[in-house]
Amino acid sequence: MKQILLITDGCSNVGESPVTAAAQAWAEGIAVNVVGVVDEGSIGELGAREIDEIARAGGGMSRIVGSRQLSRTVQMMTRMTVAGTIRQAVNHELQQLFGLDSVGALPPDKRAEVVRVMDELEETSELRVVLLIDASASMKPKLSAVEEAIRDLALSLEARTGSSAVAVFHYPGEYGHLPCALDCDWTRDAAGLPALFARIRTKGTTPTGPAILQAVDFIRQTCGKIKEEWDDILPSGRGDAGEVRSDYVV
Amino acid sequence: MTSCRPGGAMPARCAVTTSFKPELLLQPGTVVTGKWNGKKYKLERVLGAGANGQVYLASVGRSVCALKIGTEAAELQGEANVLASLDGKERGRGRPPFLLDVDDFQFNGRALPFYSMRYVPGIPVRSYLRRHGGQWVGVIGHRLLERLAELHEAGWVFSDLKNDNVLVHDYGRVELVDYGGMTAMGRAVRQFTEIYDRGYWSAGSRTADAAYDWFAFAVLWLHATDAKRLFQLSRSRLPQDRGIEDLMKLIRSNPKLRPIEQWLGKALRGQFRDTREALKEWRAAHRASDAAVRSRIPAWMTGMLVFSAALCLTLAALWLF
Ligand SMILES: Nc1ncnc2c1ncn2[C@@H]1O[C@H](COP(=O)(O)OP(=O)(O)O)[C@@H](O)[C@H]1O
Ligand SMILES: [Mg+2]
Repeated sequence: MKQILLITDGCSNVGESPVTAAAQAWAEGIAVNVVGVVDEGSIGELGAREIDEIARAGGGMSRIVGSRQLSRTVQMMTRMTVAGTIRQAVNHELQQLFGLDSVGALPPDKRAEVVRVMDELEETSELRVVLLIDASASMKPKLSAVEEAIRDLALSLEARTGSSAVAVFHYPGEYGHLPCALDCDWTRDAAGLPALFARIRTKGTTPTGPAILQAVDFIRQTCGKIKEEWDDILPSGRGDAGEVRSDYVV
Repeated sequence: MTSCRPGGAMPARCAVTTSFKPELLLQPGTVVTGKWNGKKYKLERVLGAGANGQVYLASVGRSVCALKIGTEAAELQGEANVLASLDGKERGRGRPPFLLDVDDFQFNGRALPFYSMRYVPGIPVRSYLRRHGGQWVGVIGHRLLERLAELHEAGWVFSDLKNDNVLVHDYGRVELVDYGGMTAMGRAVRQFTEIYDRGYWSAGSRTADAAYDWFAFAVLWLHATDAKRLFQLSRSRLPQDRGIEDLMKLIRSNPKLRPIEQWLGKALRGQFRDTREALKEWRAAHRASDAAVRSRIPAWMTGMLVFSAALCLTLAALWLF
């Protein structure tokens, strides 16, 4: 499973629309979650709407929180997106096979079986999360909270049974020609994270859309084929659907 | 199985929000009838609300139970699965099952999932100690460690151990509630509370092991006896500076915890062989502190002792001669 988690505090102002970019990510099988961080004042109606729309287009979810809640929110979203992705895939299968609209439509004993499989997948599936950090000037006072949240997430992911890794980008990039800059390549453990934002110079523009697209490219280049991964994760491929059935519903 | 991506029959957005909408608070007197198993529950009052559901006290005929009602069937079923598995392992001990029923009911046109479980009486540890006094730490801790040892021996880690989830009643009897965070050993802890979390204090991983619970168990006593300073500490420290030593400073300067200072240090550092050993040492630490209290017998009583010893000698002398 692949996710982009965008942490920002306002509106994008350069390049393609972040909503379209997020829709593109989701079309490629990458879910986009968004956290808006605000400490004083509000994020503004425009900012709030953009955040909501990016998540909708990106198949993910959004929250607007203060920096104190950041760690918690980032963890919750990541986990819920994994659970939601699995749930959706399972619901989809139930729909195809039995015409049931969700796990909740199954009788309790069958539901117990299916949920056991889902929980197993939640723990063991492969997970890659790109953290995409808005480092425009207004974010400066929040970057230490962002860094803590990233470390905390890495600590949780490192405990999973399934292979998990995070990578970190901030935007805008330093040299102007790329929308975002890599702070940390895929890393599996929290101890492997370097000091992240100590040296970056925050700048004015907020190219959220281009940054999302660059993150998508990065995932494509480093993670191989994304679309087919469900064939590997779930117990059985389409070819022997009969066995899938017996795996889920005995 | 097809890939999970947009297009086709898949809705464009993951429906993953599980937070329970407050407007779903059900009125006392509401009758909940299970769709599959047909059991009827009358809701009496709200016991508590959490991240993925609300818990009610309910009556079934003449007995009572606790009913957890959620919105996300898979989430609630996951908890029920853990409880069922635990009940299966504990049946051998002659313990009554904790999980009683798993079902759905129809409410305002939608199916709400629920499960029923044994009602656990009692109040959280901190409230219990405030009401009945700090001398109960030993007994409560003893019973709690015993329960943790059972869970650990069955291959589980409770993980979300905290004040709210430890209910105490009648003379320090302890029961755990909220098994939603319970995790098989070796797996990743998914539900935890920051100040109780080993990872938060840079004291280790979030992989479930017995020591994860010992850590939270140690923090529980700080929370129960010295909440204010604990929260202050957690607010004032930068994440990279947080560590066991901060907690140890609080412990050392807390007279209520002095007798178990060393024990708590070992718990925070995960230095017991297993939970039975932790229990044995817990008991020993409290016995030693009782002995210390006994040796600090007030002067007037010592006087009495000397007096009675003298009396005894006199009587013995009279008897013998
Ligand atoms: N079996 C029970 N008996 C009595 N009270 C309970 C029981 N289960 C839960 N509660 C109360 O309800 C509160 C919330 O329940 P919980 O299971 O923790 O929900 P969540 O997991 O959503 O936080 C608990 O803190 C406790 O006070
Ligand atoms: Mg709870």
